[in-house]
Amino acid sequence: MQYLLIIYSDETIWAPDTRTDPAVLQEISASHMRLAAEMQEKGAMVGGNRLKPTETATTVRTQGGVQSLHDGPYAETREQLAGYYLVEAPDLDAAIGWAKKIPGGPNYAVEVRPIHTM
Amino acid sequence: MSGDAERILDEAVRRAGDRIRAALAMRFRDLDRAEEAFAFASLRAVETWSRDGPPRDPAAWLYAVGRRRAFDLGRRATVRQAAVFDVPEPEPDPETLLMAAFEPIPDERLRLIFVCCHPALAPEARIALTLRTLCGLSVARIARAWLTSESAMLQRLTRAKRKIRQAAIRFEIPEPDSWGERLEAVLTTLEIAYAQAYEDAAGAADAADMAGEALRLTGLLADLLPQEPEVLGLAALVRLTEARRPARLDDGGAMIPLSEQDVGVWDRRLIGEAAALMRRAATLGRSGPYQLMAAIHATHAARMETGVTAWGDVVALYDVLLMVRPSAVAQVNRAVALGEAVGPEAGLAALAEVAGIADAERLAGWLPYQAARAGLYGKAGRDAEAAEALRAALKLHPAPAERLFLARRLGALSH
Repeated sequence: MQYLLIIYSDETIWAPDTRTDPAVLQEISASHMRLAAEMQEKGAMVGGNRLKPTETATTVRTQGGVQSLHDGPYAETREQLAGYYLVEAPDLDAAIGWAKKIPGGPNYAVEVRPIHTM
Repeated sequence: MSGDAERILDEAVRRAGDRIRAALAMRFRDLDRAEEAFAFASLRAVETWSRDGPPRDPAAWLYAVGRRRAFDLGRRATVRQAAVFDVPEPEPDPETLLMAAFEPIPDERLRLIFVCCHPALAPEARIALTLRTLCGLSVARIARAWLTSESAMLQRLTRAKRKIRQAAIRFEIPEPDSWGERLEAVLTTLEIAYAQAYEDAAGAADAADMAGEALRLTGLLADLLPQEPEVLGLAALVRLTEARRPARLDDGGAMIPLSEQDVGVWDRRLIGEAAALMRRAATLGRSGPYQLMAAIHATHAARMETGVTAWGDVVALYDVLLMVRPSAVAQVNRAVALGEAVGPEAGLAALAEVAGIADAERLAGWLPYQAARAGLYGKAGRDAEAAEALRAALKLHPAPAERLFLARRLGALSH
């Protein structure tokens, strides 16, 4: 079995104007590194990424089969997180192009969020 | 001399500013850096030109110095990241400037419009970004026109630019498979920008100013994309509406409804431009909502020549528009036109249909609906109902000019 471990946290602590103690942030980063190493060692690691903040998100909504773009993350209403694709794309338009091809019935949404790169 | 330099700078910016800003933004794929570099070049221009006299080609000078500055800003950012030292302030060197005079400034305005109006950005952010980046309007001026604070507007712009950078919105003309959606986003942006300017236009200088920018941008887009009939349609629509601005208010500052406006003060030049755009669009043979809306306004404009409005044509055009782009506004306007073409009772029946489709409670709280009801009841001689609708409309915060108009109608009914 594979499992997706989804992290929800307060993204503002990572913002440039953060009021969080840098030592705290450093400790979180270091813990992630340690955890990743442990997963790797035990053969549990399949993959993982840090996402860029929600303000970089675009949501492709499909309503009655009609698709439209919206600035911002997906705001949960009736749908539940069902799966994900991780794609390599040269830019946002190409990523949106893939998002639009993802099936899901008459009403659903796909959030497109860039991966954080070091 | 410094006054002279400033005058020459203003003239160069007015003539080629959009082009220089767009060329810088595209060259460096960085809106902030382009903005900073252009501001630097303008500042340097006044200093240098008042000292040495203006260059032969002021626009080329601005572009060359801006480009130079943008390079240095980029280099400095790289150096800073490597945590070394600051490189010295750049001097625009005479040789580069001389070379620049022979190098045409590339026209990147279309690409920039597509970046600023990307559908992954919120519509209000697109408008602000286009006015700031392409037209070079100050943040304060945009904030004023949109009745928001300068800091809120600055935040909106900063966020939009960050998204462009971080989500990697491409600085290219869209591919054929996404062309339709991307172009639609551009057209919607310009339409909303104009509609907002039009709404507050009760003589307010800021709004009129913005309407001027909307005229310029739609005209520019029509020049850049002459094969897109809807682009021509939007340019025509904005011109036809704007042509009526001088006739929209009476001496007391009250709104004058379209059918009662003095056609003598409509702007003939703008109406002529619109007609030419629509003729060109028609030869391309692909109709759409903007061309239909332009056709409706052109039918109104024809009163200037014929003295009458062909209300039957207006109704027919609204029928088609409602098929391709259904909206409550179009339904209400169709009802009003039907009231003229057939009679007020027919108009009221059509308005009742709007009430039947839309959420009745929300409709009752919607100003255009109450204003249309008041007009139709008034025309039908049903004074009590007209007065009730006018009172309801007055409670819905109409703009000052419309408030005066509605209050005057109400006053006339109670006599």
